[in-house]
Amino acid sequence: MSQPTRLIGTALGLFLGSAGLIAAQAEETLTVGISQFAPTLHPNIESASAKSFVIDMAHRRFTSFDADWQPVCLFCTELPTLENGLAVLETTPDGEDGIAVTFTIPPDAAWGDGTPATTRDVLFTWEAGRSEQSQFGNLQMYREIYDITVVDDKTFTIHRNRVTYRFDMINDLRVVPDHLERAIWEENPAEYPNRTLYVTDPTNPGLWFGPYRVTEVESGAYIVLEQNETWYGHPPYFDRIVVRTVENTAALEANLLSGSIDKIHGSPGLTIDQALAFADRHGDDYNIIFQEGLIYEHIDVNHDNPILADLRVRQALMYAADRQTMVEQLFGGYQRVAPTSISPLDWIYTDEIAQYDYDPDRAIALLEEAGFTDIRDGVRHHAETGERLSVDFMTTAGNRTRELVQQVLQSGWSDVGIEVVVSNQPARVFFGGTLSRREYTGLAMFAWLTSPENVPRTILHSEGIPTDENGWAGQNYMGFNDPRVDELIDTLEETLDPAEREPLWHELQRIYAEQLPALPLYHRADSYIMPLWLGGVVPTGHQYDTAQTVEYWHRTDR
Amino acid sequence: MGRFLVIRLTQGMLVLAAMSFLIYALIGLMPGDPIDEMIAANPHLTSADAEALRQRYGLDLPITERYGNWAASALAGDLGYSRVHSVPVLEVLAPRLVNTLILVGSSVVLAVLLAIPIGVYAATHPYTRTDTAVNLMCFAGISIPPFWLALMLIILFAVILGWFPAGGMLTVGDGGLADRLSHMVLPVATLTLVTVGDYTRHVRAAVQEQIRQDYVRTARAKGLSQAAVVWRHTLRNALIPVVTVVALGFGNIFSGALITETMFAYLGTGKLIYDSILGNDFNTAMVALLFVTLMVLVGNFLADTLYVALDPRISFASRSA
Amino acid sequence: MSDLTLGPGHLSASPLTLRWRRFLEHRIAVLSGLVLLALVVVCFSAPLVEAWMGVDANRVNLLNRFAPPSAEHPLGTDDLGRDFLLRLLYGGQVSLIVGLAAALASAVIGTLIGVLAGYYGGWLDAALMRLTDGVIALPLLPFLIILAAIDLGKLPFVPEAWATGQDANLYRIVVIVSLFGWTTVARLVRGTALSVRQRDYVRAATALGAGNARIILVHILPNVASPIVVATTLSIGQIILLESVLSFLGLGIQPPTPSWGNILTNAQELIWNAPTLAIYPGLLIFITVIAFNFLGDGLQDALDPRSIAKR
Repeated sequence: MSQPTRLIGTALGLFLGSAGLIAAQAEETLTVGISQFAPTLHPNIESASAKSFVIDMAHRRFTSFDADWQPVCLFCTELPTLENGLAVLETTPDGEDGIAVTFTIPPDAAWGDGTPATTRDVLFTWEAGRSEQSQFGNLQMYREIYDITVVDDKTFTIHRNRVTYRFDMINDLRVVPDHLERAIWEENPAEYPNRTLYVTDPTNPGLWFGPYRVTEVESGAYIVLEQNETWYGHPPYFDRIVVRTVENTAALEANLLSGSIDKIHGSPGLTIDQALAFADRHGDDYNIIFQEGLIYEHIDVNHDNPILADLRVRQALMYAADRQTMVEQLFGGYQRVAPTSISPLDWIYTDEIAQYDYDPDRAIALLEEAGFTDIRDGVRHHAETGERLSVDFMTTAGNRTRELVQQVLQSGWSDVGIEVVVSNQPARVFFGGTLSRREYTGLAMFAWLTSPENVPRTILHSEGIPTDENGWAGQNYMGFNDPRVDELIDTLEETLDPAEREPLWHELQRIYAEQLPALPLYHRADSYIMPLWLGGVVPTGHQYDTAQTVEYWHRTDR
Repeated sequence: MGRFLVIRLTQGMLVLAAMSFLIYALIGLMPGDPIDEMIAANPHLTSADAEALRQRYGLDLPITERYGNWAASALAGDLGYSRVHSVPVLEVLAPRLVNTLILVGSSVVLAVLLAIPIGVYAATHPYTRTDTAVNLMCFAGISIPPFWLALMLIILFAVILGWFPAGGMLTVGDGGLADRLSHMVLPVATLTLVTVGDYTRHVRAAVQEQIRQDYVRTARAKGLSQAAVVWRHTLRNALIPVVTVVALGFGNIFSGALITETMFAYLGTGKLIYDSILGNDFNTAMVALLFVTLMVLVGNFLADTLYVALDPRISFASRSA
Repeated sequence: MSDLTLGPGHLSASPLTLRWRRFLEHRIAVLSGLVLLALVVVCFSAPLVEAWMGVDANRVNLLNRFAPPSAEHPLGTDDLGRDFLLRLLYGGQVSLIVGLAAALASAVIGTLIGVLAGYYGGWLDAALMRLTDGVIALPLLPFLIILAAIDLGKLPFVPEAWATGQDANLYRIVVIVSLFGWTTVARLVRGTALSVRQRDYVRAATALGAGNARIILVHILPNVASPIVVATTLSIGQIILLESVLSFLGLGIQPPTPSWGNILTNAQELIWNAPTLAIYPGLLIFITVIAFNFLGDGLQDALDPRSIAKR
């Protein structure tokens, strides 16, 4: 009992002790509100949108996508291409096709404590990331890079054992400082996630090299970022950025209105419904941007369910869903109906595919064709087997937007005689078990957040079907298995010429729209609620947040 | 007294041990484990990786064995790391406990301070309009959905009037005592409003009960004034049920402020428990829940002891029988 | 620990009419009873209202969201264009059913455990009372959260229909609330059973060969009926409140099944644009809970023998 008491004592001391500190108010501070908190600040361990938002202000990826969805260099001097000679096809020691890609770290780049950022940091990050003990994200990328040759302090060449059209991007290789972290890692790799300075001392300047660095963390409440003196790029405008977390979105909105926060960030922020309502009342006082993006809301269909395995039933579900009215009425037209998983904003998009405009009569015809002709208590039954046309429909409980959409769909489907039984689950259960172990029996609604021209290998390839044998790895929760799609995915990845890829992408979309592995709903828009005086915030619409250009955020009124 | 203590302590330890297994098993029954979540977040994880991770976290063992391992290291003083916050569990928990203690402590004190005079007044003026009004207010307080009350307070006092901040614990960059206090006003008010009714009703009932007692009638017959009678003879006895109610509620205090903490973005224990359960943060949920259970047991024990201490008519012997 | 509210025994002696008259004196309780009666009647006549109004309560109409009150929709429509009055009525049904069912289930479990413990005594009594202490020591809210997330289908003793399907959630909440709610009644009943067992007439009955079941039914249950009624009435209100809190946490009754709790929770995001969507369910919860509390209070006054001495 003595230890907790002592701890409480010190904590109490901290609470009262820091009460006297009052910082100067003259400096320019921007306070941003979000509805989730970043649990840890290590750039490579666990990804969450709240976290990448904070980290991108103090850290940079080597490569990323810009607001125009083009690959860019953020922490390198030039994007490697085959043409400029920075990428060279080669043969791996195992005799496979490989590629050598060379990057150069910006010459002035240095960690916040003055130590230059060098290839040693890259080497350490790569070693830690590919090790057996690694708990870094994107293991596949770390292992695909089978070797790194150091040219000098700033230049290095990665050797990949697969040649994909994304050879020029190493978005997920986020450097961590060799001079601070290597010793901790080597001492005990298994415990590294708990002992890294990003957890034990996140305000250490040596951990950050972005326009800002983290100077104060109150876990669960707020993170303060201040200008980083060693930043090599465009100088930032704000002296300080405070990221505050208010999880209840109604309370978040109240905080904005009472002036406790200046801006509500897109994701994770207000629901679109709430943002629309806010725009109704305060549209003139705030600058409100609805950014449509690569957030694909859809319904996964369990193809092992005999009713849903029938393509005609899936098509009927599509025809009986009035997605257009839903998008217009619920989302003010700021979100678009999704023809397939590929966004209309992506360059690989084509509209020459099967479309499912609202057509209940057609849905009924399809259901009758599938044998569900016998209507009892408003629900269709199979004429021969007597099977009831009833499917389970799951989504994340407590997500108001999804619950609204779910009820609209349910109402529309019941009109054509399909019974939909709603059984929602908390997100932790839904994502943590039900989906990943394919324990849902019918329909499951959720979203994929992706990057531009992203190959859906883990989602659509049959090798991505989670099973007991593969330890439930993979994201093909539908159990979708189409040899031609497998083939297309394999070919797509290895086709370096965009012009050659385009027809492949179009074919993939055609198959998606015809076969309906999942039921596409819409591409989500994020809402950014900003004060009128804030400029330079350019929402990207993909998984790489607008915070990667935080140094351009500024006040327009002075 | 000594025997009473020993019995109660042994019983408490047994209940606590049983509870720890129950909590462990229940959390274990929740579908999905941290590895499932990692797979969901990281699509390229291979089956071998997943298996290795499960082994590292000991998730491949049966639940009894896992509990055994956990209990052994917990008894050895190693409560483990929070999976979400990546720091030792006590480091996450301790400041939260302090925050909750401050929040709930001040609202309990405030509620008791309000409840005693109001309750005594209502009891000594039964069936008057004031009494009825007090009664009505008490019932109103315990009948209002707490998150609804919180939202109303935020809208009125933070947004419309702008008197107090809408949430959080301090203004970043300020954090002075006055600043912290102003952040406490609305959450404390919410908690006080939902508890004061219950306390007042107990005070009122207890005082009324005492007034009917013979010795009070005697005292009054001897010519003591009403006020003197109330303060000297009834209040001490009337406090017993109030103390009991407060002490019995002591443990739930730490988890029960969840709603208020969520609405006001206040970093307390209730929110931590909720987040760690739904965020698959096993160690944190386990320790925090056990701590709360311990506090409930302590509260019950205190209630019994105080009850005996305050009321000379009850002996320890008859209580422990 | 705190089971001192009970003065067992003499209840059966006083005639029912006397208590009824005493209850009628408690004007707020009578008013509450009438309000509750009206609410129950109105909520459970929802299908009739629906038929009479000629609208379908679950019919979504996206082109008619947030409509103001009109002849067709007396309280307007909600965020999906459904008739708000009907949603409230059906929501009331669900909230009241949850409250009543969970309170009754708690009372049944509590009575059973209380009788077993108090009447048979010995090690059974000790074990059951430690169990009761244990359950009381459980921090309620965190446990409800855990239990709300557990897949009931995996537990062996839960019928299939309760674990899946549209109403699974309703059953789940009733089950988990009653798993925690029985302790008060159990203690009340145990106390009474313990003292009744010692009475001379019970001993006489036993000597004459009356079975345990008979003694429990004839002598013990009538003596505990009043406190059980009071405790159950009071707990209905608390359970309705609890359901709204669970809804707030996203763990309550799931849409499209309406409950006052989830209607209120959904409306809080829209509090600025459509305040009435939040005001009505909030008010209904408030009125119902307060009415149950007053009713319980009045019943206590009327049924508790000590209150005879009061006046």
